[in-house]
Amino acid sequence: MMLFRILLLSLWACAFGARADLPDYQTFPARGDQLLLWVTSERGRAEPEVQAAENLARQGVEVWSLDLVNAYFLPQLPSSMDRVPQQDLTDWMRTAVASGKQVTVYAVARAAAPVLRAAAELEPALRERLCLLLMYPNLYTVAEPLAEPDYLDLGSLSGLRVKVLQPRRSAATPWLPGLMDHMAQFGASVAYEILENLREGYWARETPTEFEVAESRRMDAMLIRELSSGGCK
Amino acid sequence: MKRWLTVLALGLLCNAGGHAAGFEARASAPAPALEAQDLKGTPKTLASYRGKVVLLNFWASWCPPCLREMPSMERLRQKMAGRPLEIVAVDSAETAAEVNAYLSKMQLGFPILLDPEGSNTRRWKVFALPTSFLLDAEGKVRYVLTGPTEWDEGEALQLIESMLAELPVQAK
Repeated sequence: MMLFRILLLSLWACAFGARADLPDYQTFPARGDQLLLWVTSERGRAEPEVQAAENLARQGVEVWSLDLVNAYFLPQLPSSMDRVPQQDLTDWMRTAVASGKQVTVYAVARAAAPVLRAAAELEPALRERLCLLLMYPNLYTVAEPLAEPDYLDLGSLSGLRVKVLQPRRSAATPWLPGLMDHMAQFGASVAYEILENLREGYWARETPTEFEVAESRRMDAMLIRELSSGGCK
Repeated sequence: MKRWLTVLALGLLCNAGGHAAGFEARASAPAPALEAQDLKGTPKTLASYRGKVVLLNFWASWCPPCLREMPSMERLRQKMAGRPLEIVAVDSAETAAEVNAYLSKMQLGFPILLDPEGSNTRRWKVFALPTSFLLDAEGKVRYVLTGPTEWDEGEALQLIESMLAELPVQAK
């Protein structure tokens, strides 16, 4: 009887340990040496993002696409991103680096928060091998009119290369210098690029402009350009 | 007596519901500086509007909720003609050409100011568009609204009327 109890206890402990599983992600395999970890925004994965991932894989860039709200059954809200188990994301990044490919993490909007915090949990040597592309990252804790903005605590980002892609047509654009300073304070090496004539989430807008539609179709080309140029090469 | 209490309670609920539009009252906070130019290049500051109630609206031509509330701001201007209310729309971080492209499709009678570098947007700590401020005749911020509303009706109109009612008799 005692043995049975110990067995049950061990099973329970194993089940608990399994909580640190990798998140449920979609893979777009490719034979090239680049691996893109694509973490979609709090609004979930949009069809143009799937098409871009397929196109990237055709061009030799493997993509692991992670929709955090779907993977963890979360509401489509920015605050949901703060509820993502960070250890899962850290393990996911570690697994990606272990593949031997050159790993770039691409995160959109508030998804940048758990991604940065997960990167901060990596061993420094692993973190130095990563590059982060953040599309209009939202790192505010408080952003109220007439008051100074307050940003999230991110942990140590020393050695991490971060490039922000910021659509010009966004209320966050005038605040970009403060955001860059904030990430740099945590040790990240930061750069940014303004995406002209685009709005946040331009690939999933209800009433997109012609230019936004065209750019949605060229999302794979934009990412290839980022992977092969400057900070992320 | 019980019936009166019920009516009173319902009245309070409706009032509370009216405030659900999202106007946030401020205790007469001093306003940040506004230093912008209008579309003709004339410099403007808040001093230009001293003595009037001011609806200061931050917007952009690419922002659908901003464009949705613009017609109600124009209707408010027409409704308030001759009264000491100034509606001022500050375009956030766009060029004059972008603003003019929008104005060619929408005739607006209130002044549009340009903030091409976003310096006013940063000074007023505007993090979302549209964001609006209601200022009293002394230039102090009394209410803040993040997001759009219908300016010529409901709570917005009530707040503006209440601020106009505070003005000295000759100014009203």
